[in-house]
Amino acid sequence: MNVKTRKRELVKEFSPMLEKTRFTTKIWIGVLLAIILVGLYAFALQVIKGHAVTGMRNNVVWGLYIINFIFFVGVSYSGAFISALLHFYKTPWKTSVSRIVEIITVLSIIVGPVFILLCIGRLDRLYFLFIYPRIQSPITWDIIAIITDLIGCFIYLYLTFIPDFAILRDSKKLNIPIWRKKLYRFLAANYQDTPTQRKKLHKITGTMSKMVIAMAIVAYTVLAWIFSLTLQPGWNSTIFAPYFIVAGLYSGICVIIIAMYLTRKYFNLEKYIIRSHFIWAGAFFLIISLLYGYFTFSDYFAKWFSHKSGDINLLETLFDRYFWEFIFANYLGVILPLVILSIKKLRTIKLITFAAVIGVLGLWLNRYLIVIPTLETPYLPIQDTRPEFIHYTATWVEWSLTFAGIASFLLLFTLIIKFIPVVPISGIIDREREINDAKLKSE
Amino acid sequence: MKSNLFKYNFITSFIVALCFITNGFAQKTDASNYRMKFKFKTVKQKDNSRLLEVSFIGQNKKNRKDKVPVYNAEINFYNTLNEDEKLLGTSKTSKEGIAQLVLQKNQNYLTDKNGYINLKAEFKGTDAIDEEDSEIAVKDINLELNLKEIDSVKTGIITAYTIDSVGVKTPVEEAEVIISIKSMLSNMKIKEGTIENGKYEFEFPTDIPGDANNNIIVYSSIEDSDDFGNVIQEKSANWGVFKKEIKKNKNTLWSKAAPLWMYIVLTILLVGVWANYMYTIINLFKISKEGKELILNSEE
Repeated sequence: MNVKTRKRELVKEFSPMLEKTRFTTKIWIGVLLAIILVGLYAFALQVIKGHAVTGMRNNVVWGLYIINFIFFVGVSYSGAFISALLHFYKTPWKTSVSRIVEIITVLSIIVGPVFILLCIGRLDRLYFLFIYPRIQSPITWDIIAIITDLIGCFIYLYLTFIPDFAILRDSKKLNIPIWRKKLYRFLAANYQDTPTQRKKLHKITGTMSKMVIAMAIVAYTVLAWIFSLTLQPGWNSTIFAPYFIVAGLYSGICVIIIAMYLTRKYFNLEKYIIRSHFIWAGAFFLIISLLYGYFTFSDYFAKWFSHKSGDINLLETLFDRYFWEFIFANYLGVILPLVILSIKKLRTIKLITFAAVIGVLGLWLNRYLIVIPTLETPYLPIQDTRPEFIHYTATWVEWSLTFAGIASFLLLFTLIIKFIPVVPISGIIDREREINDAKLKSE
Repeated sequence: MKSNLFKYNFITSFIVALCFITNGFAQKTDASNYRMKFKFKTVKQKDNSRLLEVSFIGQNKKNRKDKVPVYNAEINFYNTLNEDEKLLGTSKTSKEGIAQLVLQKNQNYLTDKNGYINLKAEFKGTDAIDEEDSEIAVKDINLELNLKEIDSVKTGIITAYTIDSVGVKTPVEEAEVIISIKSMLSNMKIKEGTIENGKYEFEFPTDIPGDANNNIIVYSSIEDSDDFGNVIQEKSANWGVFKKEIKKNKNTLWSKAAPLWMYIVLTILLVGVWANYMYTIINLFKISKEGKELILNSEE
């Protein structure tokens, strides 16, 4: 196999994605920018007028922002976990999906923490968290974990990008602006794909992948502890940490499947992202959804059976005010994907993606039901009985910022896959090289 | 008119009180179901005033746990001698069924030839509740408590005597006395003894904790004595020994400094992770350096 020729062929194959921006893409970017602008206006309003413009009050102090934070961070951790697993076990079909997973991982860990900043009433005092940290507080652990994880994910993502940056740097025929060429040269870090360089890069990427798995577990555990170490009804649960990890994996695999479907469809990548990718992802999704359903049942069953007054109040609220949300999040959101993924005939690309969409929506609602009803049913009676103090309803400001966050995620995803091939060229070559080597050995 | 008003108030109060008890609902709520307990006692207090107290409570004849205080009942207190009755004062029972009257220390009492003061408490009765009365006879005792260190031994000295009409002090021949100290919820008994010939001495324990300033309030009391009723006296002494230094919470979840293991675990984790990051970055530089050398060599 002539590697140089193969690289040229692959660059040529992927160059339309990198060189041209379709009209539909431009409209897509325009729509996303418009949503982000509305979000920025909402943010400015929140900064000027304070949290009064949100639905958060003395009682329900957390709202959509924290839910989005948990959701995105969960996606990131599971992305890191899955990506590192793919790399760690050198899965044959990892090449086509690894980049999608890696991009999702990093973008989620960038967008997620922005939401926690929106929760802070006095952003001007944010630096207090760093100059007066309280080591005993799970919030401090979370800050440390997120920052460490963010940097770790960046390094890991960058390591996986380096060979492709080098290939793009060396592609003379690639019709891209000079600044991009310069940027590829800088980011390629003089990588020449020599055996020693390749060995070193594989070694450090392997170490980082193990580290990222460990970090994902630690960081998401810490995030779960923010809730479970408090004595709030519904939160003070010993299984919250593993439950969060499983839920994170659940949301992560759902987002990955959706991203795989959209990228495949948009860039006509049927050659690279094949049905078996969806089947494998679906199998993983099935296992995780079984685990997720089991944890959800176990958590709520223990709450119901122990009959503690706080938990009973919470369950009454869940089955009264939040009945349909509860049914969707914890019944449909789990059972529907389970049915689709369990029956062989239903395991088509479209239906697996549909199951993933249901899974994502169900999980987001599940996070909502973990946060809001608990804050609405505290142990101590609510002093001020104004309805807006007891019950939480998100305002347009919160919804705008939520959609702005999702739009930012999608925009960054779109821009990154315009900047670097969505299927790693180096990965394809490595895979072909492995097959070639194996053939030579067998001969 | 006055008596009707009283009757109305009293019966209503009793029925209202009955309504507040859960056990009485199934039974008739009239007073005939209740046996009246009319208890009278006197306490000579630390300032030598005398407290007269009546406890007036109705106890259900069928259910002894069902007790209802008689509220707003007027109790007359008398000092009697033979046929003479001297009204000392009147008091109404509280919601707890307690009526109290405090007589100042300079109160003149009628005493019999043995020096006994005859006291009587009387409830005149209503249509619903029969009249009640109770009498007690006590000698007017003077109880003194002194706390002092004798030969470095913390000692309590109790003296008890009576004073006759001409002012002659007569030591009390015999009386049981209880020594206690004031605690957080009630008094804690530390000693019991007998006053003989007007005196009782005791060694004060050396391991009693005091308040923030090491002060201890000591009580000497005669309780339910046939001759003297209840008498109590108190004194304060700086004899507390408990001076435990308030231990500052170091390295706990709630102190400024976290538990040591938290620092250790966090440091190990962070050093481990960041060392790996550094290792990765160093290797990246090595990769970059190697590539740069290759480029330079190819250019040459």
